[in-house]
Amino acid sequence: MKIQLFATLRDRAKARSIEVALEGPTTVAELRKVIAAQHAALADLLPQALVAVNQEFAFDEDAVGPDNEVALFPPVSGG
Amino acid sequence: MNDTPTLIALTEAAIDLNALQRAVTTDLDGTVVAFIGTVRGVTPGAAEPVTTRLEYEAYAAMAENKLRQVAREMREKFAGIHGIALTQRVGEMAVGEPVVAVVVSCGHRGGGAFEAARYGIDRLKQIVPVWKKETRPDGSAWVEGDYVPARGD
Repeated sequence: MKIQLFATLRDRAKARSIEVALEGPTTVAELRKVIAAQHAALADLLPQALVAVNQEFAFDEDAVGPDNEVALFPPVSGG
Repeated sequence: MNDTPTLIALTEAAIDLNALQRAVTTDLDGTVVAFIGTVRGVTPGAAEPVTTRLEYEAYAAMAENKLRQVAREMREKFAGIHGIALTQRVGEMAVGEPVVAVVVSCGHRGGGAFEAARYGIDRLKQIVPVWKKETRPDGSAWVEGDYVPARGD
């Protein structure tokens, strides 16, 4: 599945998105582990990173699957 | 007449404050409060006090949804307000440039527009997915946010 990246995560990956191989639906907590395992360059940024699923903030126990729009980014700093 | 105009914008264009004021002002209003956030060039006391420019990036689709959510929350908390405009710019910004605007109208100066504008900018900075990269004389770095969203944000 595709994961969009922003700010520090985009710079680190040198890409606007990454692909992760996921065996069907899982949880946000599990997805973080999969990303860290498959994209080692992002691993140290993941603990502080926020996950959005279908454009809403998502939390560790929330479900996530290949059909969802998923994004990974640092705490926001707009305004 | 629409008593509760709501304008949401995530844009590279310059902020036209007069246009925003006209857009939020209904026949019921005698007050418009505008908060404008600008690029600060000097932050006294900071380790590196001088900012040369800021570059803003957004997760556009989610940012527009969250701007609408901020406007909804403003209406829930401040029932006396009428018009709301929330504008966040993206792209490169020079020192002194307006980057964000929260404009609120209401009938009288005590009708909640000051408080609503303050709430709006605070919430925008918590939940709207926008990030800024700061360029200083010694290099550039992403500004770290510190708000961790909770369920319902």
